[in-house]
Amino acid sequence: MLGGRRYGPAPSDSRWFWVRNSEPGVLCLVSLVKYVVRRSLYLIPVFLGITLLVFSIERLAGDPVQIATFGNTHITEEQRQKIRQYYGLDKPVYLQYLHWLSELLVLNLGDSFSGGSVSNLVGQGILATLELQLLGLFLSLVIAIPIGIYSAKRRYSVLDVTLSSSALVGTSIPISFMGIAFILIFGYYLNLFPSGGAQSTIQSQYLYGNVFLDQLWHLTLPTLVYTFAILAPIVLLVRSSMLEVLRQDYILAARASGLGDRAILYKHALRNALIPIVTYVGLYFGGLLAGAPVTETVFNWPGVGALFVVKTNVLDFPVIQGVVVLITLMTLVANLVTDLTYAYIDPRIRID
Amino acid sequence: MAETLLRVEGLRTYFYTWAGVVKAVDGVSLHVDKGETLGIVGESGSGKTVTALSIMRIVPAPGKIIEGKIEFQRKNLLAESEEEMRKLRGREIGYIFQDPTSTLDPVYTVGEQLSEVLVRHQNLDKKSAMDRAVELLRIVEIPDPEIRINQYPHQLSGGTKQRIAIARAICCSPSLLLADEPTTALDVTIQAQILETLKGLKDRFNMSMVLITHDMGIVAETCDRVVILYAGQVYETGTTEQVFENPKHPYTEALLTSVPHLALKRERLSVIQGNIPNLIEPPSGCRFHPRCKYAQQICIDKVPELEPMEEGHLAACHFARELKLKSPVTS
Amino acid sequence: MASLSSRPRKRRGSGVSQWELAWRRLKMNKAALAGLVIVGVIGVMALLDRLIALYPPNCNVGTNPNCPNPGPKPDVWAIGIPPSWSFPFGTNLAGQDVYSQIVYGARAAFLVGIGATAIALAIATLIGLVAGYFGGWVDNVLMRLTEVVLVLPFFLILLVFLRILFTLSPGASGGLLVIILVIGAFSWPGPARIIRGEVLRVREFEYIVASRQIGASGFRILFRHLFPNTLHIIIVLSTLQIAGSILTEAAVSFLGFGDPNSITWGRQLADASEAVKQAWWAGLAPGIFITLLVMGFNLLGNGLRDALDPRLRE
Repeated sequence: MLGGRRYGPAPSDSRWFWVRNSEPGVLCLVSLVKYVVRRSLYLIPVFLGITLLVFSIERLAGDPVQIATFGNTHITEEQRQKIRQYYGLDKPVYLQYLHWLSELLVLNLGDSFSGGSVSNLVGQGILATLELQLLGLFLSLVIAIPIGIYSAKRRYSVLDVTLSSSALVGTSIPISFMGIAFILIFGYYLNLFPSGGAQSTIQSQYLYGNVFLDQLWHLTLPTLVYTFAILAPIVLLVRSSMLEVLRQDYILAARASGLGDRAILYKHALRNALIPIVTYVGLYFGGLLAGAPVTETVFNWPGVGALFVVKTNVLDFPVIQGVVVLITLMTLVANLVTDLTYAYIDPRIRID
Repeated sequence: MAETLLRVEGLRTYFYTWAGVVKAVDGVSLHVDKGETLGIVGESGSGKTVTALSIMRIVPAPGKIIEGKIEFQRKNLLAESEEEMRKLRGREIGYIFQDPTSTLDPVYTVGEQLSEVLVRHQNLDKKSAMDRAVELLRIVEIPDPEIRINQYPHQLSGGTKQRIAIARAICCSPSLLLADEPTTALDVTIQAQILETLKGLKDRFNMSMVLITHDMGIVAETCDRVVILYAGQVYETGTTEQVFENPKHPYTEALLTSVPHLALKRERLSVIQGNIPNLIEPPSGCRFHPRCKYAQQICIDKVPELEPMEEGHLAACHFARELKLKSPVTS
Repeated sequence: MASLSSRPRKRRGSGVSQWELAWRRLKMNKAALAGLVIVGVIGVMALLDRLIALYPPNCNVGTNPNCPNPGPKPDVWAIGIPPSWSFPFGTNLAGQDVYSQIVYGARAAFLVGIGATAIALAIATLIGLVAGYFGGWVDNVLMRLTEVVLVLPFFLILLVFLRILFTLSPGASGGLLVIILVIGAFSWPGPARIIRGEVLRVREFEYIVASRQIGASGFRILFRHLFPNTLHIIIVLSTLQIAGSILTEAAVSFLGFGDPNSITWGRQLADASEAVKQAWWAGLAPGIFITLLVMGFNLLGNGLRDALDPRLRE
């Protein structure tokens, strides 16, 4: 959503102390480590709280096995009980929680209702998901920032209006629609790209006979769609943030000192404009991870999102739990990184 | 006769806003001689700041300089290219803004901001620029400059920040310094110190200064000559003595008598009635007429011209010669 | 400070309230007006639904054109007809008139958008105001809570909730309501933070400090003074939230987790995507309409933000 401009949310109240040294802007390694440790310690209760929350949400609805096999007339209550025993679901709730938590800490996410280790399933999927996510995020930033700056500089020019309008459409279009449209046009009618999957199933179909190229070939369309979806709001944000900053007095003062346009734009304006952008991207990144399901489903991408969709459909609770917790953890880490970046850019929030 | 450093003639700067065309500066002429301090006085909205910004040609959109001539160092600044102007800004002409908090970039240290100007204009390398920056902090009387140089604006007090802004303005020894209400945002006690510093710098670097203010007290203290601005036009100008002892325009009288002054005997504090004029549709004739206690019909109909009263003292009022205006200095 | 009276007080333009001023500014913003028009037109569409649709909801045109209920299997001839005069957007693979389905779907879009937003912003406003004004431990606790909810992968949890619900009671008619509730219940943290930020900014205003000193109680200040001052931000956040909620519903329905009993554009998109090669127009229409409506709200939201900007008030 676009609500991130000057009203950007306050940074999560990071308090951190760093040794004042003679080189500003260079984070002292010791204090950096101290900060990370301090924040991680703080994360633990948050994480525990979240696992508790997730656990309870599921149990709220009732017995997982009951729900997962709802409507299935072939399973007897006896069989259900056996299943419960196997998964340890007949024990009291708090014991279940503790057991699950302890297993979690050794990275054992339990077994899926359909057999197989949850950790395995998730492990395989997460790589594919990260591939798409990180690539998409990186490309988006690299493309969106220059475009946003240009749009701000040449406000109301033809190119700016075109770019901003396209960006607006990009933020408003449902990813599913865009994805299917792309597949139809580029995959089906123009036959340029495969319509799904991460790799061709039959070796003889590999692009130019090369596995790597084949993977890249399959990666293109989803990345294209995903990147466009992410960069649209970022372009608009960069543009509005830059416009906001360019109105500030210190920019006028910089001009009064005779500094050139380039210095003003890239040195002063951009760095200040990045502050709300980092906040937004940080917030958004958490949402990104969770937004993967749609893209992955459309493109048949074997990632964690698609896995989640499939397993949720059959109410495979161990997998659901595992994925939710994993994604949450990744979001927490992403927030940490965001806070660090934020503190690096904006000296005002460092307390010394 | 002193040599003229800056001459502004017929300057008009308008702002094209969605509400209409704001005629912020509508026919201003003034001059600054070498070595003198010219005060530009007026209320908020009188066009003081826009005049200064126009001289530097950094009027922000939607403002535009419509017409006029600005002579500086034998050039017409309004005809120069942007590249030429950039060479002048910060080097030949320095600008001090009103609010030091908002005019320093919050994400860079003081040293970085000072040295970048030095690097730009004097082609120094980073290290020399930093050393020079420390020296500059010393010159503007900031204690412990080596420590301050690595601090960020938000870590400094208002007075210190303004000194830094001053340091940035004078870092390349400009011949002209434009100071836009440099003390308004500061405590009264700091005000005096800053003014002292400015005076000292002016003498030390042999600069001419244009001091914009709404405070007649400061004008009396620091300015050699003064220009009274109202609604984008000059209504009176002369030396400080002339204007203070013998004001010729009702607005000047009003400004002078509205300053509370402990040493003077006075019955009550007089206030200028009315409001600041609408700059999109300014009053006809003499723009001050709605608030002038001496206004007559002719003031509504006819625009008064700036006429000389005595040597170097001009006023724009139909009744300038007749009115016996009071001044707290003489009464 | 310097002289007192040489600074006459600025008086606002004669008798123009800030809302009128904002409306005037909004009118000048072409893009925002376009957004308003789009939202208005689709809104009218949603209101008039049965009046402007060509066929009853979910009706298979192949059977009985006046059918009040979904009929049995559609006749072959009615499946996947490209756009024509009798079917402006063509028919889909269930033999339904796409145009009519779109008209009926508009209502759900507005319901979800506005409903979820109302809930989310109500919670967000309350929490933002309380946290921002009272500060201290209240603020701390509320902000921690906000962080926790914010970190949760809301979309994933939404999917789980919906799946459980529709498994346990497949025929339930309140499906859309659940979607509205859940989206609303999870979307408040972002806006809450922003509102809190605004409260922090506004509460140091002199007249608020003054009323505190007169002895006005906390709640009185909260509602009489702080709330109106944060209204501008609440309005902007609401419009943008509506846009987001509509997209979320579309995504949820696309994955098949939406309410099977409601007509929504998201579901139409999902159904159409299964056989997009045969009847691509069946997917084009809902996709375009979702985009249009969301764009409309986005444009409106941006326009409102510029028009209501407190710093441009003069």
